[in-house]
Amino acid sequence: MIQLNNIEKYYANKGVKNYVLRLVTTTIKQGEFVSIMGPSGAGKSTLLNIIGMLEEPTYGTYEFLGENVTSLNERKRIELYRNHIGFVFQAYHLIDEMTVYENIEAPLLYKKIGSSERASRIADLLDRFNIVAKKDLFPNQLSGGQQQLVGIARALAAQPSIILADEPTGNLQSAQAEEIMELFKKLNQEDGITIIQVTHSEKNAQYGNRILHIADGVVKEDINVA
Amino acid sequence: MFKLNLKIALRNLWRNWGITSINIGGLAIALAAFILVTMYFTFETGFDKSNPNYNEIYVIGRTLPDFKTNTTSPPLGKTIKAELPEVVSVGIMKMSYFEFPVTSKNGVVFLSKCLYLDYDAAKMFNIKPSGGLLRPEDSGQNLFYLSNENYKTLFPDNKSGKPEMIGIGSKSSGITGRISGSIYADPHSNIAFDAISVVKEMGVGENYGYNNYNTYIQVKPGTDINALEAKVNTIYKREMLKAGEDPNNKDFKATRTFLDPLKNQHLRPKAGTDANYKILMALSVLGILILVIACINFTNLSIAQAAKRAKEVGVKKVMGAYRFQLSIQFLTEILIQCFVATILGLIIAEIILPKFNNLFTVNLSIWTANSALFWQLPLILIFITLIAGVYPAMVLSGFKPALVLKGNFQTSKQSYWLRNGLLVFQFSIAVIFITGLLIINSQLKYMRTEDVGFKPEQVVYIKNLTIFGSPSKFDPVRDRIAKIPGVKSVTVANTVPDGSDGGKNRYTVDGKEQSLTFTDVGFDYFETLNIKLKEGRTFSRQFKTDTANSAILNEAAVARYGLTDPIGKTIRGCQNKEYKIVGVIKDFKTLGFEKPVEPTIYSINDPCGNPKTEIMLKIEESRMSEVLSTLKSQWPEINKLDGDNFRYQFLDEMYGRLFKKQEQLQSVFFAAALLTIFIAILGLFAFAKYITTGKIKEIAVRKILGASNLQIFKLINSSFFIMVLIANIISWPLAYILTKKWLDTFAYRIDLPILPFMMSAGLTILLTIVTVSIQANGAVKANPVDALKYE
Repeated sequence: MIQLNNIEKYYANKGVKNYVLRLVTTTIKQGEFVSIMGPSGAGKSTLLNIIGMLEEPTYGTYEFLGENVTSLNERKRIELYRNHIGFVFQAYHLIDEMTVYENIEAPLLYKKIGSSERASRIADLLDRFNIVAKKDLFPNQLSGGQQQLVGIARALAAQPSIILADEPTGNLQSAQAEEIMELFKKLNQEDGITIIQVTHSEKNAQYGNRILHIADGVVKEDINVA
Repeated sequence: MFKLNLKIALRNLWRNWGITSINIGGLAIALAAFILVTMYFTFETGFDKSNPNYNEIYVIGRTLPDFKTNTTSPPLGKTIKAELPEVVSVGIMKMSYFEFPVTSKNGVVFLSKCLYLDYDAAKMFNIKPSGGLLRPEDSGQNLFYLSNENYKTLFPDNKSGKPEMIGIGSKSSGITGRISGSIYADPHSNIAFDAISVVKEMGVGENYGYNNYNTYIQVKPGTDINALEAKVNTIYKREMLKAGEDPNNKDFKATRTFLDPLKNQHLRPKAGTDANYKILMALSVLGILILVIACINFTNLSIAQAAKRAKEVGVKKVMGAYRFQLSIQFLTEILIQCFVATILGLIIAEIILPKFNNLFTVNLSIWTANSALFWQLPLILIFITLIAGVYPAMVLSGFKPALVLKGNFQTSKQSYWLRNGLLVFQFSIAVIFITGLLIINSQLKYMRTEDVGFKPEQVVYIKNLTIFGSPSKFDPVRDRIAKIPGVKSVTVANTVPDGSDGGKNRYTVDGKEQSLTFTDVGFDYFETLNIKLKEGRTFSRQFKTDTANSAILNEAAVARYGLTDPIGKTIRGCQNKEYKIVGVIKDFKTLGFEKPVEPTIYSINDPCGNPKTEIMLKIEESRMSEVLSTLKSQWPEINKLDGDNFRYQFLDEMYGRLFKKQEQLQSVFFAAALLTIFIAILGLFAFAKYITTGKIKEIAVRKILGASNLQIFKLINSSFFIMVLIANIISWPLAYILTKKWLDTFAYRIDLPILPFMMSAGLTILLTIVTVSIQANGAVKANPVDALKYE
């Protein structure tokens, strides 16, 4: 599904290249649950951003679903966002001015889904995540864990084939974090959604089936979890 | 989608209601000013525009050695009509400002602007009286029409506007006339009138010397006006020579005729001043400037808000929103605000309109059916939405998700110099207006408190049609008035000291000939007006010669002749009449403060003077109303020839009208100063918000390093302080030049004071510090931990 070849990312400053990523080559297949781990500043988030096409690599090629997407125009990239990729953020990034319902609805509107189909999908998600009672609340009326549930529901609304999550539990207490990770595992196993998460926590990484260890921009280890 | 965006927009605007209301309010006020200026502009440039021949009508004027005038003689037009085929029609007209009453059994109206014109002129100006424009049959017939209002007053029962009989002058005069009907007197035309008289031919039998008519020509569309102008001039010269003009006369050689289009007559006639045009242009530029600046402030404030919206943009982009969708969303938000601002602006304009109308003596209204505003407003709305909205929409929709979603987003520090420049510019304009306003105030205060040399207070001017040439004629009237208890003195003169120019004649003293203004007066003139004597005496009944050949000069006249001992000297005037100078009075400012006191000669007996009709009384203050009511009831007996209508004015009010133009300027400057400072503060507010938001981290770090709140306030204020100081320094010389130019239009004026410059600097700096500190307060008081959390 994802094929990275010799991906490099550096910032040139007065002729000196500061590398963030160096020669990252890896393949992620459909249905995998990958955790990217490593110390601060290792390049985890940058790698995830490149996978999510939020940043472009300075060197190397990136194929997504067999298509070279190394440098893609905005229109095509957004088509991919609409149909294939869902994002989950550490700070949830729900839109403050929209209710829970509207937040989940937003990607469907961009995808131009008909209103009845929209309503049924949202009802389904609300039901599945047990947040039906909260649908008319605004994000600031929810706890962190609830906000992240809405964040995930929003990412799933467009029925993506892959979810990119940047420290999805970083702002959460452990009980809530566990709940979110269980949810990810379930999504991966039952719905076959590919998940790539960045995390600091060894424990969270165990929920997935593969761990990429990064240090100083280089993939040090690539291990499969039993 | 649109519905959701709208919902988000409204929620967003509501959440930041403080900023929203400042944004909308600022724009609304600027818009109100702009709407008023637009309406005024449309009105001022629209005189006679409804005339179908608007672009083809020209007035013939003459350039004389000293001045230009639109007056010509009747035969010129007739010759042009006969000789030049490109001239479709020639209309000749004449305005009479002689005020006289016309009466019916229902009432009386006073006509002060009677327009006499021939049939062709009436047709050219599209004049449509009731019953249609008729062609007078012979040269004896004139068709007299009253304006609708006057007609209605006199004949309230006559709805059809059919012919009626009226009385002219006082009832005792017994003169009657026939009016042919009524007519709509368009106030939006260059030819304004109370009544018109249409005749077959104007100026019958009058030759080229009778230069007191206006000649309008209507040309064929596409006529070469320069060529026509030359042809008209040739005809004029030829006919003048034929009429016996000396070809070697220097003045005649220098005289030329010109054509001036009708569309320029109101604002910038060749014969006259284009001051109104300049004022209108300045006003329009100011209006546009204020609107554009308000839009730019709007833009800045929107971008200052950007940090709050950045996350939304980032999230929406990764959810699959195109940039243009986001741009449209932001534009929609701004359109909503601009729309609200437009409505508010209209309301504000409507509220200010009566004051505005009063100030500019116009009668504008927003809600008229054919108001140009109805198509102008949507254009204005689109215009401001685009200026105010495109840049923020571009900036906001351009955020990179990877950057804004990391959690700690700071707006970039770009194009500071542009913002700084804009701020300095706004404050410079505000400083110019504040300084100007303060200086205008000082000059007006000086004009109100300074001794004008006479006392117009408690002097009543009575309108009168009877001519009182010699004192013997006036004495019976005078005696009757003087008997009323409370009347201190009574006099008659040919002119009232209300700024009106008296006539001029040439007078000789010791063989030196000079041009003097002459004022023909009665006894007690100087006493009534409380004019101070410098030497000699005033006119007195004890001296028989005073009614024959005594004269009094003012100081300016004495100075003009360079006399050291004027009393007893002989001064020779027109028709070689000789006067003995019996007194010299101190100069008094009959013309107000703008023109210097004219050298003037006062005499009772002046063979070349103007008729003495202006009666003035000095009345005790406490008995004013009593005296006026007595006069009203007794007037028919006192002044038999003009007794029907007792009408009066207070001289101090008439004199006060001389200040009106300056008071108008003061009001304009007051409004402009208020508006510009308001908008500058608004701009500052946005900018300070932007800066403090950008400096939140810096402030937090400094606080942790031990900076006190005061030190941080100083830090934030210092750059603004410098900018406002620069603005002051830039605008001082400009304000100095402008106000000095204005003050130079006065003959009597204050010295240019320094205080206003200091005060406007002080005011702007104070306002700046207050605004910036309010804005900085939040950032300074905030807990540094919150600002540094995500690092």
